[in-house]
Amino acid sequence: MTAFLQALASGLALGAIYGLIALGFNITYATTKTFNFGQGAFLVPGSLVGVSLLLLAAGKPHFGNLTQAEMTMTAYVLATIASVVVVGAIGIALYYCAIKPFVGAGGLNWVLSTIGFGIIMQNTALAIWGPASIAVPSPLGSEVWRIAGAGIRPQEVLIAVVAVAVMAVLDIVLRKTRFGKALRAVAFNPQAAAIVGINVETIVILAFVISSALAGLAGILIAPITTASVFIGLGIALKAFSAAIVGGLTSPRGCMLGGFLLGIVEALVGLWRAEMREITIFLLIIIVLVVRPSGLMGARSVEKI
Amino acid sequence: MPALAHAIGLAVLAAALALVPLFGLNDFYLQILFTIGVNYLAAAGLNVLVGYAGQKSLGHAGLFAVGAYTAAIANIEWGLSPWLSLLLACGFGAIFGLVIAMPSVRVSGPSLAMVTIGFGIVVEKIVTEWTDIFKGQAGFYGISAPSIAGVSFTNLHWVWFVGALCIATHLMLRSLLAGRYGRAFLGVQMAEPAAQSVGISVVRAKTLAFVISAVTCALAGAVVAQQNQYFNSDFITFNLSIFLLVVVIFGGSGSLYGPLFGAVILTMLDAWLARWPALQHFTYGALLLFSLYLMPNGIAGAVSGFAARWRQGKVAAAAVAGHSALAASAATAGGEILVVKDLYKAYGGIVPVRTVSFAISAGKVHALIGPNGAGKTTLLNLLSGHVAPGSGSIRFEGQEIAGWPAHRVASLGIARTFQNLKLFGELSALDNVLLGAHRHIETGFVASLLGLPSSRQAEASARADALALLTDLGLGERAHEPAKGLPYGLQRRLEIARALASKPKLLLLDEPAAGLNPQETHELGEVIRRIQQAGVTVLLIEHHMDLVMGISQHVLVLDYGALIAEGRPEAIRQNPKVIAAYLGADDDTALTGDAA
Amino acid sequence: MDNRITRRTLGALLVSTGMALSLPALAQNEIKIGYNADQSASGAAELGLSGLYGFQAAIDDLNAQGGVLGRKVVGVVRDDAGAPPKSIQNMNELIDNEKVAAVVGPTNSGNALAWLHIPQQKKVPVISHVATATDITARYAKEPQNYIFRVSMVDREQLALLAAYAVKASKSKNIAIIADTTGYGQAATKDLQEILTLHGIKPVGIEKFGPKDTDMTSQLAKLKAAGADMIITGSLADATAQVLKSMEKMDYYPGLLSTWGSINTPLVNIAGPKLAEKTIFAASTTEDASDRAAALHKRLVAKHPNMPAFVSAAQGYDAVMLIAAAINQAGGTDGPKLQAALENLGAVQGIIKKYEKPFSKEQHEALGVADFHLAQWKDGRVVKLDDAVVKGLTAADLKR
Repeated sequence: MTAFLQALASGLALGAIYGLIALGFNITYATTKTFNFGQGAFLVPGSLVGVSLLLLAAGKPHFGNLTQAEMTMTAYVLATIASVVVVGAIGIALYYCAIKPFVGAGGLNWVLSTIGFGIIMQNTALAIWGPASIAVPSPLGSEVWRIAGAGIRPQEVLIAVVAVAVMAVLDIVLRKTRFGKALRAVAFNPQAAAIVGINVETIVILAFVISSALAGLAGILIAPITTASVFIGLGIALKAFSAAIVGGLTSPRGCMLGGFLLGIVEALVGLWRAEMREITIFLLIIIVLVVRPSGLMGARSVEKI
Repeated sequence: MPALAHAIGLAVLAAALALVPLFGLNDFYLQILFTIGVNYLAAAGLNVLVGYAGQKSLGHAGLFAVGAYTAAIANIEWGLSPWLSLLLACGFGAIFGLVIAMPSVRVSGPSLAMVTIGFGIVVEKIVTEWTDIFKGQAGFYGISAPSIAGVSFTNLHWVWFVGALCIATHLMLRSLLAGRYGRAFLGVQMAEPAAQSVGISVVRAKTLAFVISAVTCALAGAVVAQQNQYFNSDFITFNLSIFLLVVVIFGGSGSLYGPLFGAVILTMLDAWLARWPALQHFTYGALLLFSLYLMPNGIAGAVSGFAARWRQGKVAAAAVAGHSALAASAATAGGEILVVKDLYKAYGGIVPVRTVSFAISAGKVHALIGPNGAGKTTLLNLLSGHVAPGSGSIRFEGQEIAGWPAHRVASLGIARTFQNLKLFGELSALDNVLLGAHRHIETGFVASLLGLPSSRQAEASARADALALLTDLGLGERAHEPAKGLPYGLQRRLEIARALASKPKLLLLDEPAAGLNPQETHELGEVIRRIQQAGVTVLLIEHHMDLVMGISQHVLVLDYGALIAEGRPEAIRQNPKVIAAYLGADDDTALTGDAA
Repeated sequence: MDNRITRRTLGALLVSTGMALSLPALAQNEIKIGYNADQSASGAAELGLSGLYGFQAAIDDLNAQGGVLGRKVVGVVRDDAGAPPKSIQNMNELIDNEKVAAVVGPTNSGNALAWLHIPQQKKVPVISHVATATDITARYAKEPQNYIFRVSMVDREQLALLAAYAVKASKSKNIAIIADTTGYGQAATKDLQEILTLHGIKPVGIEKFGPKDTDMTSQLAKLKAAGADMIITGSLADATAQVLKSMEKMDYYPGLLSTWGSINTPLVNIAGPKLAEKTIFAASTTEDASDRAAALHKRLVAKHPNMPAFVSAAQGYDAVMLIAAAINQAGGTDGPKLQAALENLGAVQGIIKKYEKPFSKEQHEALGVADFHLAQWKDGRVVKLDDAVVKGLTAADLKR
């Protein structure tokens, strides 16, 4: 039972991360039918930029290690803002370089171009920070909290809380605000949206900024658990992509749900046999997609004949 | 590419291969040549899947693994000869191609990407984790290379061998893709419903493409394992799947020569960049990012763009005189060819077709009319098999076909056109018509792959027939133009030509006059009359009352999913129910005017 | 595109190509040593990059002393990005095109295994300076001349030491294994099982985790349930730190014995200084083990401030020095003679130690169990472990 709780807790934390990134996939897919296949590389500056700024502020080299004392909540919040802003801004570059030339062209060219963008980004990060991982202390310290015998790290709770809060806010934004309505209008019919006075390109760029910023946020949230490094992204982004597809790429709530679902299933399979995790998860995903090709909560697309 | 240039190109390549020893290349260069060949092998098959059938796979490293591990295990564990192991690798590749096709053909778009990624990762994890069988990272050492006359392959032999495999693969794929199979793949990619309407099983076409790509990928894997004498799980990564796809797309997917360009350029670039370790990743990234922007159709697309400029206008005329399907006059006797009983279809609360029953007699032109939203197109989709009915019966020539998939319905002799044109836009008018004749070109897969004379003959006579039909319909001049470039009226007529090419017994036309000008509409009427004379029963949906009343012998009226009247045109014109239905609708001039 | 720029780029290309072509002609007199390792693509890249720094420093030192046999030494560096096909291609290029005298590398054992036959067939000595798989030096041990050498930890050797300690220290003799799913971890698991069998012990549990996993609690819970009081890990520093953090989560602290990787700073950085003290590991050299090591460390860090793994650098350095000594002794770079010289070297001063006849026909490992000791982190520094169990260890306990 303790082991179960333990697995559930870390599964939820990781699932929250998957959900955040998956939500980003949903937002850009809704507007352009594309998303960033190289999103994994966006976690890298997310985890490193803010931390490096803190290090520089503390008078250390940018690739060093922060002490627990230097990682106050204020510092972490500042670092998070810096990471989110920087990665969000990279999202604009991503749109112009890798998305805009291919929107509406059909085919898979955008998949390759976004992968290419990610490769360049990851190797830029490699040149700046080197291949070693950088330990990032949690602003809540490294004490383990015990709940019914299971140990939970404060950072895991922080991840879940922040991620759920961000998802809730975005859910409201997408449903209630002018921006959300404009986004849905663009998703439904870009030409019609343009006719009613929506600046389609601005909305699309904003979508990519949000998507990238979410990846950046995921990067700095997960860094105290995984450490910050050039290599953290690919595995997480692939799972987030899986979460989005299984939950339903066209449904924001489906993407979030998919994230948590994947995180928990992964943790529970790990209880059984850790090395069987990927095999089990991906087989499950294939089965789910055969039964529901557009994901658990995705809109079924019917081609009009 | 013209046959002569192709033959010369092949001869030059073969000569260059034969002369390789004269260049005194060391093993490094031989290895590069070998790698080019291997990448071409894998990409050539993948191109059939990605470029022709339109199924983007991000998991072909899994199939590469199948080949490599089959070659390794067959040789080391089962003690089979290297030659036999190679064959077995292809066989296992085909089996696993089927395995990955089964879930893949059910999904599309990002879900397809996910399924293939999932397959690749599952294979990667299995060969990594299941160390009892696959030895994980420790790998298989001492995989024997094939030998001829007791001489085991050296690197030079490998270059020759892989070169020969590449040429053989190229020739087979060239023959296959130029014929009915290649057209079927392209048809499935461009317009699935239209492909089904000419009798192509989308599932079978996609599955076949998966199997072809699986076999060449597995062969590539097996050859790598044998040449290197060693193979382990580190070779199988997600990156390999991406790389294979990049070779295809960068080279030019959907072009026969795309994989060749991709394999040569990317392999050489990779080898050349190795001396600047820091630079190679950036270059690779920049290549992915910008090259497709500059060359949306890959290198092959850019090259053929140049080539097309000076080759314009050179179109070979047909050597054989063909028979137009319209000329075949075989008037069938009366009798009911199609009997529909209690046909019902609902989408949630909307019921476009509610228990409709009617019969269609052979040899006549029947019209299906009704106000907008009456359920006409849905009814047609039910008849053609594009939509499965909720309940009810459809009997065609006595055969119950309700619930049959569209391609099986089509194969019985029911052809159709579409309200929203579904031409194979990138293909020429001729190819569109040839696709229509798909089920009549009797060429087996093997014959087509090997380019046997029987297959060439069948293809040539089909081309002649298709040209004759196009000429008959006034499209002869434009037979070699891409369908999407034709004027709208001709596109409509081309759809009819495509449907006729399948030599149907019953032809379903969905608003064939929509968007046509009066002259074109008049010509359409003539065409439909000729179709009738050729012995084909016609059921057309049309708003254009002049046309309907002028050419049909029997009219069915649908309103809110129910059949409210049927009979001879003049009787329908007077029917109060029909008048009420139309007056109730927006378009109150429909019965008398010439509304589109 | 601007015509001028095109022309200039073209010009630059021509010049650089010309240089690339003319260099070999000018450089007949150079001695080339190849370096083929992952420097960019996987978690092990930090070892490959650190190794490269040591490799380059050694070549600089050789040239500062006037080269070898009066000839300049040139390092030819290739990055295999952790991919076997690339590694194979690099190996062919280094040997056939660059005509290197010897090769240092790689980082991933799997890559080494993929191309071992190439240097063996072409008679070019290779020194593995990072990859630890036992098979690497063993595959051609029975050939008349085995061209594969190693200046690194050998899994079998360090695991023998760890196992000996675990067997002595365990009260219940309930010993368990936990390792990552990479080839490195799995080879370690296999070796450990064999070694423990020699001790007459069957592990009470064998668990795996992914190399990037951060939560090993479920695996540890199973080992806890099996009553393990000693756990031996096969993983790199990052993952070992995560094992420690998972133990902390569960408040379960069996004796944790880990491999050589734990000597690297990521362990302390990730686990924190307190938790890091809870593992005992096999160590060779550290940056403050000797004046030479300290000097090299200082020099490398000045140039590459974020160098993560000094041990790899030291091993890369020593590998070059052994090759240079062998070239001196052989009087040239002929492969078979070089191989013979390596097997008959005299004393060579390295960073890790002074090598006295490091290799022989039977012995292709420059470092053996005698060069390792058990160590522990204490207040952010690596200190030699000297408890009662270590004192009680005898040569007979080192079963392997």
